[in-house]
Amino acid sequence: MTLPLTIENLTAHYGPTKVLEDLSLSVGAGELVSLLGASGCGKTTTLRLVAGFLEPTAGTILLGGKDLTKLPAYKRDIGLVFQNYALFPHLSVLENVAFGLKQRGISPAERQKRALAMLERVGLSPLADRLPGALSGGQKQRVALARALVIEPPLLMFDEPLSNLDAKLRIDMRVEIRQLQRANGTTSVYVTHDQEEAFSISDRVAIMNAGRIMQFDTPEVLYQRPANAFVARFVGFENLIPMHVLARQGEQVIAEAAGGVKLHFNQDRFGQIPDDFVLAARADGLAATANLAAEGLPAMLGLRTYLGRAYQYQCETAAGLLVANGSLSDPLRSGDGARLVPLPEQCCILAPEHS
Amino acid sequence: MLKRHAGWVIAAPATLAVIIFLVLPVAATIGTTFGDPDGLFAAYADFFNSGFRRNVLWRTLEISLITTAISLFVGFLTAYVVAKSPGRLKSLLIIAAVFPLLTGVVVRSFAWLIMLGKNGILNNFLVAIGVTNEPLSMLYTQGAVIAAMVYLFVPLTILTLVGVLENIPEDVVQASASLGATPAATFRQVILPLAVPGLIVGAVLVFTGSFTAYATPQLVGGERQMVMGTLMYQRAMVSFDWVGASTIAAIMVVLTITVVLAMSRMARRLNPMAT
Ligand SMILES: Nc1ncnc2c1ncn2[C@@H]1O[C@H](COP(=O)(O)OP(=O)(O)OP(=O)(O)O)[C@@H](O)[C@H]1O
Ligand SMILES: [Mg+2]
Repeated sequence: MTLPLTIENLTAHYGPTKVLEDLSLSVGAGELVSLLGASGCGKTTTLRLVAGFLEPTAGTILLGGKDLTKLPAYKRDIGLVFQNYALFPHLSVLENVAFGLKQRGISPAERQKRALAMLERVGLSPLADRLPGALSGGQKQRVALARALVIEPPLLMFDEPLSNLDAKLRIDMRVEIRQLQRANGTTSVYVTHDQEEAFSISDRVAIMNAGRIMQFDTPEVLYQRPANAFVARFVGFENLIPMHVLARQGEQVIAEAAGGVKLHFNQDRFGQIPDDFVLAARADGLAATANLAAEGLPAMLGLRTYLGRAYQYQCETAAGLLVANGSLSDPLRSGDGARLVPLPEQCCILAPEHS
Repeated sequence: MLKRHAGWVIAAPATLAVIIFLVLPVAATIGTTFGDPDGLFAAYADFFNSGFRRNVLWRTLEISLITTAISLFVGFLTAYVVAKSPGRLKSLLIIAAVFPLLTGVVVRSFAWLIMLGKNGILNNFLVAIGVTNEPLSMLYTQGAVIAAMVYLFVPLTILTLVGVLENIPEDVVQASASLGATPAATFRQVILPLAVPGLIVGAVLVFTGSFTAYATPQLVGGERQMVMGTLMYQRAMVSFDWVGASTIAAIMVVLTITVVLAMSRMARRLNPMAT
């Protein structure tokens, strides 16, 4: 069974402090959506609201059209994998996995059978009789996963399930989670603050900041076409350069950056360009060249680092400190003057930040 | 070499102190009980042949088991509320719970004399609201002793259990709910088993305390509610029957150890993590 999750205009407070504001999110049936954001932005709070551990001050939560908002947690039928696993320390691995089945009134023989089958799937059947205290982090993680999966919930939620594991195991486990989720086709919400993790396993990602969703889209779109400066910075656009349009000639736009340098932009590439905008570029999208006649930002080169595929320069410009890459064939020296040329196909144009 | 024996060296002074001040006196006391010319166990036969003394033993067991059960129950509920309260209120509640401990056992037992006496607060109240025409005699009953002892031991159980309940992680309780357990099922299958170590510690404290109590049963129970503690005092200080008193002491030691062992066995059955 798999159902879509719809969160509408959710607002939540802890005491007087507002931690979520007017948050809306829809997760299609069978889809895996990640909530991605820095610590404290409200990811866990969102899960707690959906799970029913916290009551929203406004808004509704719908699962397959059924309103969960006022339902107590134990009636919601949502599989939850906690950040710290939250296994029952007094129950064996098998009893942990069978716990949810027991609450559903399934007979001891049947629940033992199903729990064992689930343990088999996550590769833990040899440890069925152990207590959680005698498991490694990765094993606990699998038990937590098995315990949530075995009740065959219409919705699965994961709260940073891999944050306590080492780098290699983290990658193995996320592939496993994705495969199990795909195989069951269970609608899933996955919380993480690791961008790579979110992008690699999700159908769509919601990037959150201070209790709001900044952008909700596929990883590809987020990575290539961030909708605002916050998301741009989050997905690695190091250079955000405020610009002001001076003149428009058909699709050509001439804009000025701090220091008076003029750059040309083509609306065929960028769409309608507002009068004030921010030019966003990764270091890759800003080419450092010694050719002072090139159309680019005048810069004084600082520290040079070797990246393997290019050299990277810290650059002082009138628009502040920028990071640009230069070709390997033509290393520049720190202290030299240079031009930083934006490469249109790797740049974005965003609304100014304060709006 | 030194390392291998370091543990013993460090433990030696305390071990010696325990042997000299605890093991020897108890051994000496128990030793005298086997010195009766009529046979090794004559002192014990003496004790168990007396219907009165068997009665005292039985009453003591009954009072202390009931006291233990009630204290744990009340203490557990209170501790649960305290553990769930927000920070400031929690400290306040804990202070309130501990406050009676600042006065002595005698003072607190005396409070019950004032409460339960013929002219006491409770009787005056009952007469005033017309529940009864004449003051009831509530003192010197088993109920009075139990009430006074529960009052004595509840702060202790609250203190032990608040710590244990606070240590049950919030997310484990939430995990239980998310898996479909009703609040009652969560309580029975998660909170209670995880609180077992604390319940056992509390049970041992209350049981040993109430089984060996002297002042409270003496004041609130008097002659009519004689228990092992008061009986022993009477044997030793009124009848100067030292062997009889020692026999009572020996029986109390053995029974206490038996009950404590039984309790920890029970704990292991309920919760495999408890030791
Ligand atoms: N029980 C609580 N009482 C008061 N404030 C809280 C409580 N829990 C969380 N907060 C606050 O709410 C905000 C959102 O917290 P939340 O736990 O949702 O963050 P998060 O995005 O999950 O962060 P992390 O990545 O660190 O887990 C934070 O500012 C936090 O300080
Ligand atoms: Mg969190």
